[in-house]
Amino acid sequence: MNHRGGWALIKSTWLSWLQHRSFFFVLAFGWMIPPLIYLFVWSTAAGGQTIGGLTRGEFVAYYLALILVNQLTYAQTNWTVGDLIRVGSINTLLLRPLSPIYHTLSAEAAGKVVYMIFVLPVAALLALLLRPELELTWPNALAFIPALALAWALRFLWGYWLALLAFWAARADGLLALQDSLVFLLGGQVAPILLLPGLMQAAAVILPFRYMVGFPVEVLTGQLQGANLWLGFAWQTGWLLAALILFAVLWRLGLKHYKAVGG
Amino acid sequence: MRYIRLIGQFMRASALGELAYRVNFWLSLLHSLLNLGTGVLGVVVLFGQVDSVRGWDMAQTLTLLGVYLVVGALQALFIAPSLDALAGMEGEIHNGQFDFTLLRPVDAQFLASFRYWRPLALLDLALGLVVLAVALIRLGQTVSLTHLVTFLLMLSAGVLVLYAILLAFTALVFWHPGFFFTWVFNGLFQLARYPVDLYPGWLRLVLTWVVPVGIMTTAPAQALTGALSPGMLAASLALALAFLAGASALFRVGLRQYASVSS
Repeated sequence: MNHRGGWALIKSTWLSWLQHRSFFFVLAFGWMIPPLIYLFVWSTAAGGQTIGGLTRGEFVAYYLALILVNQLTYAQTNWTVGDLIRVGSINTLLLRPLSPIYHTLSAEAAGKVVYMIFVLPVAALLALLLRPELELTWPNALAFIPALALAWALRFLWGYWLALLAFWAARADGLLALQDSLVFLLGGQVAPILLLPGLMQAAAVILPFRYMVGFPVEVLTGQLQGANLWLGFAWQTGWLLAALILFAVLWRLGLKHYKAVGG
Repeated sequence: MRYIRLIGQFMRASALGELAYRVNFWLSLLHSLLNLGTGVLGVVVLFGQVDSVRGWDMAQTLTLLGVYLVVGALQALFIAPSLDALAGMEGEIHNGQFDFTLLRPVDAQFLASFRYWRPLALLDLALGLVVLAVALIRLGQTVSLTHLVTFLLMLSAGVLVLYAILLAFTALVFWHPGFFFTWVFNGLFQLARYPVDLYPGWLRLVLTWVVPVGIMTTAPAQALTGALSPGMLAASLALALAFLAGASALFRVGLRQYASVSS
């Protein structure tokens, strides 16, 4: 593997994206709105009381953390992978003396930096305005870091294997949109998992989508204790391994199946 | 008369263009259903926890969701595709094609607003009407004729305001090409999924009078449930006309600002 070349690519992508930052700021703004809506809806609904044990301020804290986690784990590059395959421009990447994964990773790294420059100040401003309540303990904060890293890896690889289906079907966009909707419903965005009705909650615990966004936020805000915390990590690691295997298998089979068109 | 005939021709040409892609139809259907599903489930989850929020119960909130889907569908039917072709990514203002549009012997604002149609948005329109019908049945009360007439008036006012804002945001591109003003609005428009009463005071004021997404969905829904004051009706209609006049003026000034980029 050519790591030096990879690093150079990451740096150049990052600098070029910063050049066009207003475009990415607009995108980040759009992605922030759905969790923000539910922040307002739930904190207004809670009012002076609690819903499912959460107070108004705790809803604010939950959703502010979710806005950040959602932005950090959202793998926008998955959409481009499908396009690269469909249009044939992946040829150029395959010919480089550099694993194509670097191309994706460079866009990921660049994206995270540019989006955070926008999202962090906005989230800080909202925190000043909306007075979140968060009792941050050391164990929660420490457990949050691996939960977040695993969530990023899971969301990235899960979307990547879906996008690789473009090797066979012409487009994988429909599946990616479906994934986004499921993350929205079962990943803790429409409501914290513990507020979902029975069947949806059971589905959320078993399926991978909660472990892409909601789980790290629950860890940070202290909604998970003892056994539930470890169980969550177990599910998250399990799904990550599944995603890794699916990705590796599909990448190999896909490349064999792939016949270049244009480029 | 000539203009109505032209609109008919534009619709026909757009429909023919879209019929060529069959897979696209299924993808659009999937997107429409996902949009519907996430919207309805969001309301169901919320009212699984509380009976009413700030005077809005489940049936009323579903009515509002129906209005949101209908207004969104109308936007996607012709406003968004036409204005996007002008100021969106690779739009005509960007690549200089706009010169040829201006040369045509038809009013520029008319062409910019009605040229492209997206017949697949009729799917969303149908789904929105279904949600609206179900919500009205749940409301239980027989909706009086006055309610229905006020609703249609408010809906027209809402769509006019939506059109005016998008036109104004499009016109801004004449001064600042390359910035996607309409995307910013699309982000804000998502806030119309829920009644503006659910947002904090400062945001409610902004959403009623500055970027009045409240007039697009909250007010028509209130008209249907009979919770709209006559003063609000008059104010909304006046605001719609003012926005329309302002946006058209801005567009005309913008046109003068436009300096071709091609040859």
